[in-house]
Amino acid sequence: MYANFSYKNRKVVIFLESGIKQASNLGYKKGFFDGIPICLGYIPIALALGISASKLGMNVWITQLMNTTVYSGSGGFAALNLIEGGEVSIITFALTLLVVNCRYLLLSISMAQRLDPGMGFLQRVCFGIFNTDEVFAVAVQNPGKLKFPYLLGLATLPYVGWMSGSFIGCLFTNILPKSVGDALGIMLYAMIIAIVVPPTKKSKQVLFIVIISILMSVLLECNPAITKYLTPGWIIIICAMVSATLGAMFFPVQDSDDDAQGKEAKAQ
Amino acid sequence: MIDYAVILKAIAAMAAVMFGLRVLPLIFCKKPIKNRFIQSFLFYIPYAVLTSMAIPEAFFCTASIPSAIAGIVIACVLAYFEKDLLMVCLSATVAVFITDQVMRFVK
Repeated sequence: MYANFSYKNRKVVIFLESGIKQASNLGYKKGFFDGIPICLGYIPIALALGISASKLGMNVWITQLMNTTVYSGSGGFAALNLIEGGEVSIITFALTLLVVNCRYLLLSISMAQRLDPGMGFLQRVCFGIFNTDEVFAVAVQNPGKLKFPYLLGLATLPYVGWMSGSFIGCLFTNILPKSVGDALGIMLYAMIIAIVVPPTKKSKQVLFIVIISILMSVLLECNPAITKYLTPGWIIIICAMVSATLGAMFFPVQDSDDDAQGKEAKAQ
Repeated sequence: MIDYAVILKAIAAMAAVMFGLRVLPLIFCKKPIKNRFIQSFLFYIPYAVLTSMAIPEAFFCTASIPSAIAGIVIACVLAYFEKDLLMVCLSATVAVFITDQVMRFVK
């Protein structure tokens, strides 16, 4: 579980050094400030998403609606991919998002065990909507049970950065010269590279998954006999399911709960 | 041509999926997952999805394939040395921009 976020740990160390001792003392204000680096990281991604969306000819308000509800870089990116491919099946959209973001299931399950038991239904719903990988990664570094005010504070700025970034991206596309707009097209893929490459250094298993995915994706997507029947969205789902299943069969991971509890005990 | 009727329905469906993934476990699932296969699958799936999404599409996302390759190479090198996410994204963009300008000049 924690290996998942190794590239972010460098950022997280800063929070620990800035004096977080007791989770129970953490309030909204502390969370709000802890959210600043996450927010700064989201703005360029949201900008790129907004730019990609309006390059496809998407209406700015529809794009904003999509980014409000699908609060996820890879999810929004996958959705734009499908829209670009002229996908009309709602099931494909839903399934793609399910596959792309099924890591949230794991995050949320892990998070559920760290929440203050006193948190009510509405508070859980509210925090769940604004939870992301990065918010999770920062939040779980704090020892003890996490309380609602801190979590809400932590989730505030990233969401603001996300929404304003995509809005500005949509509006600026027409102002930007075409050459700059074209260059920004690489941004989302660079983001993916920045997320995927560092773990492949540390884990041969992840490297194996990545190589299988590349091979399958190239074989399927560059094959006219396949692309005639399957949209890019389905090809992504198939490649991801197959390579992750192979990974789970041949390289099962260590029990992450023991690991998480060990870390928690150390932190306390 | 963009069909907004489809997109609005798709957005509703995607919002429901996101809600299910993010919120429902916080409400209902307070016990840890014990199944090792599911744990492993969930651990590997982000890498599998992101990779299949990026390849081969990344090579066709800019004005020309050489510029896309320049961006991808720069991003891979910087990511390998674990540079910041923002730094990787901006450097790749600059690499693409410069390559496209040079190619136009050469032509």
